[in-house]
Amino acid sequence: MSRGRTKDVLTDCWYAVAPAADVGTDLMATRVAGRPVVLGRTASGALLALEDRCAHRPYPLSAGRVVGETVVCGLCGFGYGGDGACVSVPTQPHVPRGARVDAFPVVQRHGLVWVWVGTPGRSGLARVPDLPWLDDDAWADTGGVLDVAAGVLLLLESFADVTQVPVVAPDISPVVLQAAPPPLEVVVTETTVALSRQFPPGPLPAWQAAALDLPGEQRLPHDQRGLFLSPAAWVDHWDVTLPGGSQARMRFTQLVTPVDGTHTRLLWRVSRDFAVADEAVSERFSVMFADYYRRVAAALQTQQRVLDTDGPGREVNVSADAAALKVRAIVRQLLTEQPS
Amino acid sequence: MATTTLREAEGDLVVESAMTVADGVVALTLADPNGQPLPPWTPGAHVDLIMGPDLVRQYSLCGSPSDSRTIRIGVLREPHSRGGSAYVHDRLSPGTTVRVRGPRNHFPLVASPRYLFVAGGIGITPLLPMMAEATAAGAQWSLLYGGRTRSSMAFTDELERYGDQVRLAPQDEVGLLDLDALLGTPQPDTRVYCCGPEPLLAAVEARCAGWPAGTLHLERFAAKPVSAPAGAEHAFEVELAQTGVTLTVPADRSIFDVVQEAGVSIIGSCLEGICGTCETFIVSGEVDHRDSVLSDEEHEANETMMICVSRCRGDRLVLDL
Repeated sequence: MSRGRTKDVLTDCWYAVAPAADVGTDLMATRVAGRPVVLGRTASGALLALEDRCAHRPYPLSAGRVVGETVVCGLCGFGYGGDGACVSVPTQPHVPRGARVDAFPVVQRHGLVWVWVGTPGRSGLARVPDLPWLDDDAWADTGGVLDVAAGVLLLLESFADVTQVPVVAPDISPVVLQAAPPPLEVVVTETTVALSRQFPPGPLPAWQAAALDLPGEQRLPHDQRGLFLSPAAWVDHWDVTLPGGSQARMRFTQLVTPVDGTHTRLLWRVSRDFAVADEAVSERFSVMFADYYRRVAAALQTQQRVLDTDGPGREVNVSADAAALKVRAIVRQLLTEQPS
Repeated sequence: MATTTLREAEGDLVVESAMTVADGVVALTLADPNGQPLPPWTPGAHVDLIMGPDLVRQYSLCGSPSDSRTIRIGVLREPHSRGGSAYVHDRLSPGTTVRVRGPRNHFPLVASPRYLFVAGGIGITPLLPMMAEATAAGAQWSLLYGGRTRSSMAFTDELERYGDQVRLAPQDEVGLLDLDALLGTPQPDTRVYCCGPEPLLAAVEARCAGWPAGTLHLERFAAKPVSAPAGAEHAFEVELAQTGVTLTVPADRSIFDVVQEAGVSIIGSCLEGICGTCETFIVSGEVDHRDSVLSDEEHEANETMMICVSRCRGDRLVLDL
């Protein structure tokens, strides 16, 4: 049966590889879909993303430095422009003909650096997902980056699983998640999956009541949405309707980059449109959600270990897994459209 | 009551422009009324236009997948229209809204080093984004595009940039498409994508009989029902090959229920055709697939089925249970 979890890595996708603020003239080494990538900015501020291996000898360019508009190898001194072409070598006046490294399409959007390591020409036909709350001053966010020793589909399926949060993190889980769940609606298109549930009024978890300055026992309606926007982005909405009718909204932006078939980088942001200027809330959320995502990562790594040790096995799915199964199907379909 | 419902996205879009692009062909661009981005899609995708309770038509997307703001469709006014194309031409002027469901894709462009595209008339629409995609992917391709007359052939201006990769063949100038020359000899590493009227599809299918299995991809642009019409159910027999028993599935019960009742160990979960848990290998028999899990291709392959909702077209199925 063909609906299992593929281990093939989708290269033809825009992946959010780093916060824009972390990418500067100090070069950064990363891996995206099996390719070594050096990220940085030239002296003029232009982003560059090159194959992280000098064309001369097996040495990472990320161990070199930016000189003007070029990257210079830290071992042999070969210099490369942002287009990957070798532009200077220290020992001779002319550059070896055709010497170059791969240059990857790279853009900055929503405060993040996105890289495309797949079929070069296809990058212009694909989209970076729309994450407007990350650019909006009416929202405050906190976030981090985690390296997770688990395949990217395990992460996406975990985000699609509405039952995991109260199990992984019972201490901070919204109280309404622990009661009988309301009906789940899953809405699909060719390439996206959206799930949603409306909870009847219930009490807030202590951390959210404190941030909103509301008594915890007050019962308020909650709306949950989960959105698979692309194989690089899963976003959760968690909106509470306040006594006056306005909403206190949260966005959990989970951006995943496959490092290889069994390793994934998770770049997460937790955004809120309440207590925006309250630094104590930011600090508390920062610590609390960093801990939450570490626990999510630990559970994912355990799953990957079981797969590695005992193989894929047969899995029982429940109807609530419709979203996760659709995510698998979309990724599988996109893989067939990707040139090998 | 179902605890999980699965459905396709559906919403009202506003007609941003409606332009006549060939004799009897209008190109519509549609956008979200609030300017929200539209979901990504890939070449070959189509949407349903829901113009009334019994007036639902499928149209291929023929703009660029990189455009997050609008989608574009091309619609031929059918002389024998049962209402769909006439509604589009007569009623969908700029500023009006129309209900749209999808997109979905039953005609995806599988990666390949080479493609042959064959279009007949308005069948050019799904192929337009495919040619852009094939170009972006660095594939070699050519298009043979037939139509009644040159002025009836839409989007020829957008094909000019491809130079001699594109051959236009208006029937009143050059006669019928020379499919023998194009498809007579199977070519290595080449996929054939064809969309057009039924006689063209049948002719291409016949010429491709000697090509490797799976290399021909067809899309029928005539309106087709999205799911099989719900006729009266009938009873049928199910033989369980491993167990060695034959059971009768009455018209009002599922295969799953009958098999489980017979004491055979099977697992099912949602029993709504959503979760895929009860997937079962088919030994023989023609299945009436009704699940939401398997793709059209998988349905056609007839290798496995979801025994909670799917049934039998004939009167006997043999399952690997």
